[in-house]
Amino acid sequence: MANTACFIIVGRNDIPIYEAEVGSAAKREDAAQLHQFILHAALDVVQDLAWTTSAMFLKSVDRFNDLVVSVYVTAGHTRLMLLHDSRNEDGIKSFFQEVHELYIKILLNPLYLPGSRITSTHFDTKVRALARKYL
Amino acid sequence: MEEYPEELRTPPVSLVALFGYSELQASITKHLHSQQPPINALAFPDLSHISLLLAHDDQISRASSFRDPLSVSDSSPTVPSRCGGILKRDWLLKHRTKVPALVAAFFPSHHIFGDPTQWLQVCSDLDSLKSVIRPKNIKLVVVVVQSSPQEELSEDRLVALRKRAELDSKYVLFFNSSIDSELSVSLSRIASAFAELALAYYKEEGRRIKSRVERRSSNSPDLNVRYCFKVAVYAEFRRDWGEALKFYEDAYHSLHEMIGTSTRLPAIQRLVEIKTIAEQLHFKISTLLLHGGKLIEAVTWFHQHKASYEKVVGSTEFIFLHWDWMSRQFLVFAELLETSSATVQSFSSLNQETADISLTEFEFYPAYYFQLAAHYLKDKKCALELLLSMSETAQEIDSCSESITPSLYVGQFAQLCETREEKGESLTLHSITDEEYTRFTISEAKRFQDSYEIIAWLKRSYDSFTNLKARRMAALCAFEVAREYFDLADLNNAKFFFNIAASLFRQEGWVTLLWEVLGYLRECSRNLGALKDFVELSLEMVTLPVTSYDDSGNLRNKNYGPGGPATFSRRESIHREIFTLVCPEAELLSSTGGSGFNLATDSPLHLEIDLVSPLRPVLLASVAFHEQIIKPHAMCSITLSLLSHLPIPVEIDHLEVQFNQSTCNFVIRNSQRPLWASSSNTVESGSQVENEPSLVLVPNNWLRLTYAINSEQSGKLECLSVLAKLGPLFTISSRAESPAAMEDLSLWKHENRVESLPTKDPVLAVFGQKATQVDEPEPQVDVSLGASGPALVGEDFTMPIVVTSKGHAVYNGELKINLVDVGGGGLFSPRETEPFSLESHHVEICGIDGAEGNDESESETGNIKKIQQSFGLVSVPDLKEGESWTCKLEIKWHRPKPVMLFVSLGYLPHGSEANTQKVHIHKSLQIEGKMPLLISNRFMLPYRRDHLLLNRIKPAPDSEDMSSLPLNEKSVLVVSAKNCSEIALKLVSMSIKFDDEQGETSCLIQQGGDSPSSANLAPGEEFKKVFTVIPTTRTSKLGLGSVHLKWRREGGNITEACVSTKHKLPEVNVEASPLVMSLNCPPYAILGEPFTCAVRICNQTQLLQEAKFAMADAQSFVLSGSHSNTVSVLPKSEHVLSYKLVPLTCGEQQLPKITLTSVRYSAEFQPSAVASSVFVFPSAPHAEKANSAAK
Repeated sequence: MANTACFIIVGRNDIPIYEAEVGSAAKREDAAQLHQFILHAALDVVQDLAWTTSAMFLKSVDRFNDLVVSVYVTAGHTRLMLLHDSRNEDGIKSFFQEVHELYIKILLNPLYLPGSRITSTHFDTKVRALARKYL
Repeated sequence: MEEYPEELRTPPVSLVALFGYSELQASITKHLHSQQPPINALAFPDLSHISLLLAHDDQISRASSFRDPLSVSDSSPTVPSRCGGILKRDWLLKHRTKVPALVAAFFPSHHIFGDPTQWLQVCSDLDSLKSVIRPKNIKLVVVVVQSSPQEELSEDRLVALRKRAELDSKYVLFFNSSIDSELSVSLSRIASAFAELALAYYKEEGRRIKSRVERRSSNSPDLNVRYCFKVAVYAEFRRDWGEALKFYEDAYHSLHEMIGTSTRLPAIQRLVEIKTIAEQLHFKISTLLLHGGKLIEAVTWFHQHKASYEKVVGSTEFIFLHWDWMSRQFLVFAELLETSSATVQSFSSLNQETADISLTEFEFYPAYYFQLAAHYLKDKKCALELLLSMSETAQEIDSCSESITPSLYVGQFAQLCETREEKGESLTLHSITDEEYTRFTISEAKRFQDSYEIIAWLKRSYDSFTNLKARRMAALCAFEVAREYFDLADLNNAKFFFNIAASLFRQEGWVTLLWEVLGYLRECSRNLGALKDFVELSLEMVTLPVTSYDDSGNLRNKNYGPGGPATFSRRESIHREIFTLVCPEAELLSSTGGSGFNLATDSPLHLEIDLVSPLRPVLLASVAFHEQIIKPHAMCSITLSLLSHLPIPVEIDHLEVQFNQSTCNFVIRNSQRPLWASSSNTVESGSQVENEPSLVLVPNNWLRLTYAINSEQSGKLECLSVLAKLGPLFTISSRAESPAAMEDLSLWKHENRVESLPTKDPVLAVFGQKATQVDEPEPQVDVSLGASGPALVGEDFTMPIVVTSKGHAVYNGELKINLVDVGGGGLFSPRETEPFSLESHHVEICGIDGAEGNDESESETGNIKKIQQSFGLVSVPDLKEGESWTCKLEIKWHRPKPVMLFVSLGYLPHGSEANTQKVHIHKSLQIEGKMPLLISNRFMLPYRRDHLLLNRIKPAPDSEDMSSLPLNEKSVLVVSAKNCSEIALKLVSMSIKFDDEQGETSCLIQQGGDSPSSANLAPGEEFKKVFTVIPTTRTSKLGLGSVHLKWRREGGNITEACVSTKHKLPEVNVEASPLVMSLNCPPYAILGEPFTCAVRICNQTQLLQEAKFAMADAQSFVLSGSHSNTVSVLPKSEHVLSYKLVPLTCGEQQLPKITLTSVRYSAEFQPSAVASSVFVFPSAPHAEKANSAAK
């Protein structure tokens, strides 16, 4: 499992709807508070890159030192963003795909308003389990 | 980048040395400079200075080799004694400024070809020159300066000169400066020879050192690096960039291998030296790559460089050295990228090429590297601060580090010691221990203001990201800049940049980030003492949708900013802090100051919240009137709903509701709270006051309050704002919003929470408005429109309008009159272009005949009277109660059309007081415009004379109203006028008038008979008049003029003008008929008695006419005569067919029908049915007999 991993789902209107720190340990605490800032800044890259390819998994789009931002864009332009320091690209891809499925299940809930914050604890638990499995 | 020596930053340039002829040197130097590639020149006035050229260098190197303890003290036998370091600091400079590639000796020609003593001098000079340059392989050129081109040259001396100088003939040059053309030729010759020799020199030098590299003559990696470096530099001299790059990379790689193996220096210094050289080599490689336009390679190289040295930290205690070095790498690369001309066209294509490390778009912009340089410098700053705080010997460091200077080798430092020896004072360099070195570097580092560097780089990064339209990247940079300013306690700048970041996060709804930034901003305003800002920022933080109850917030393991963790409990604590600050309870007043503010009791704090304010979640005021229109003085319900997202319930002391009509403002007071003496200036003292048992704002729950208000003033009544007073000094004013137009709170709308409506009534919650319309007071004046039946087209229709006061006096009255087409579409249609509708309006107002009876008052008020075709404006004189005023409106119809007449009266009921409002009365009436008379006409031909009119080859059976008339025949025109209105009319006259002159000459119209010219017409009655028409000109279109009819309403005033109505008669066709068939027949017949009937066929042409006729049998007659035949009629003569007929039946009988066919015109015609009938009496009528009997 990666040392650092910060996972965020950004809705189509650029608002974060789910955020989780899924790394096993924070090695350098001084940089940890920057994670969300870095992910937010990486949206600039994603918004250009997302239209140049038909693939959902955009691989690493931004790099801040040894931290890499990987992004997965769903068809509805919801972006799953992961800040990580591991190089396990296949694992990240599988992680994204499974979280995407979970997200679709959330969307199927008639009581969930698309674009609003995901507060389901079940979703949170599942995402953290997936992070342990793949990252 | 500027900290590198100049010789490292610019590409090297070949160097030559010139001796002698100082007067020529300036022009030669200039010429060499302008060459491509340029050549630098050292100029010496004469050969006696030759010792200066290289002696200095030798001396130094010799001195260093003896005195440098680094090499001497080293006991390792494998390392050659001369190797004290990797690169000599001044080697590059020496080769660029001191060691020439060739020496050019200038001799005047007479020295060589003249006096033998001078020749000997030349020879000795050459020998000394050679002795100096030969060991260094420096090339030699001899230039013979001629004073004139015709000078004689001695071939023997020239050969001797070459031999003495050991030169090829092409390097003995002749220079002639006397003629301009010769001069330029000589200069270019010199330049090419110099360039060639310099190239040869550098090539030889390079090859010499390269052979050492290849031979691996020394096992020392130090030397290997040095040789590679030198080869690369020589390659650069030759502008062989490819080889230069290759050898720089070789040097770089062998240097990297040294990291673990080298043992020459103490550990820290060893690493510093390696890193310094790696930095220089990397700089050279990057520069070469970027100048070659290989941007991708350069960026990839940089990443490799970063990756390979990132982990080479060295001593963890002095890690700041590493961060400093890393930061410099990023900075230098950023500056290189910035100055390089290479640009990237397409990023998406780049990523596919570099499979190993995929590069992102921003890694091609300097901004990225500036940002990271700042980041590492920040690391360095932190590490240094930590180190300084731990070491107690800070003062000690300062004292002993003064004499340490950079030593002879790149990346090494040494202590400069003054030693007194026998010869005198001299300076020697001593190697230093790691401890001494670190003290030195710490004291050096302390002198630098890293924060300013960090800010400057981040600002550059911020600017360029802003230019790239990468707003989020820019916001991150702005946040970093602001944090740095914050650390420096430069709060105003910090605030500026925090605000930039905050505005973006606010807009995009990144709550956690916004919380972080607001925490800093709050701290800034706290330190600046800006109470209002502090309260506003705190309230904004408190109302952020942070709902995590976890103590660590959404992000675990986090160093929080001054705002603390983004948790619900933190929100609550900030809330408490703020509310104890701004509305202290009486007992707490004394103990404020915990947050650094002393709220002076006489400084009230007022917050304005508008629709775009980030403080909207603090107090959201929705106001809805229950009715859209209210009567003046009547009570109207209004619902006030307040919503707050503050985490803890808040109690409001009192609320003030403000309207655009200030008399309506009212106050809601919390009866549990003490009455504060301070009264507001927005609510008047006598205004409405409501009391509520409690006014508590519970989070996320609407506080709904319904009251009744009344308004006296008509017009719009709008709620402007709701002002909440919390404690004696703190007020929040929130702009009132209509529930119908209320927008969601941008940050809260995506949260999971119970949505409730601002009002209980769902209709009001969806359609409620914060404004209502107050009606005007009831008018007490009557306006009546006295219409008398329908109007007739053409007449001036008068419409009396009576204004009667019934309780209100009328001042400044104004009567507006409007005519509107009932069917819509306006009062005129452009499609119909009849002559009399040219004025385009079918109905128009002709005039308003004002004021019967009060002429004097009318003139006093300065009567306004504006009349247009469908609009009129009349001023009404002032009327007292009970008075009335009348005016007459004249309307004229040009066409039958129903019209709606709108009359509106506006007046002031109470004289000319400024604040009273006008009262309006509206009346309308539909008036029908009708046609009074229907005029028709018909033509009749002479009785029993049928004309063959060729235009009508097939005549209709009853064609009395023919539009073709025979020429010179008397035809009859009957004009009838029928009253089609419901009003009796009097017809005054009817006549036919020609429209133009031509009509009069071509036609003769007489009034037939002696019928009366005037008549009374009851509704539905018809009036007929007969005219005879004799066309005299043959024309296909004969205008018969028009019928002029004059009429008026019966019973009306005789003096009243008659209305004239015109009716245009149709045009007729006039032609001459070639054949005329006339029927001669008795007026009546008697049953059983035979009578004779003759048909005359008259040929009116000059031609023989052949006519076929056919007689059809009729049941009621017995006929004798030819049934059918063909007859020829001579010109201008007639043929008579006579028949004997015996009638068999009584009554009106149709005679046997005769059909005539003209062969010439192949036209067939018959007499009309009416004309060919006869009445048959049963017996001879007796009337005549009786009559005659009576006689």
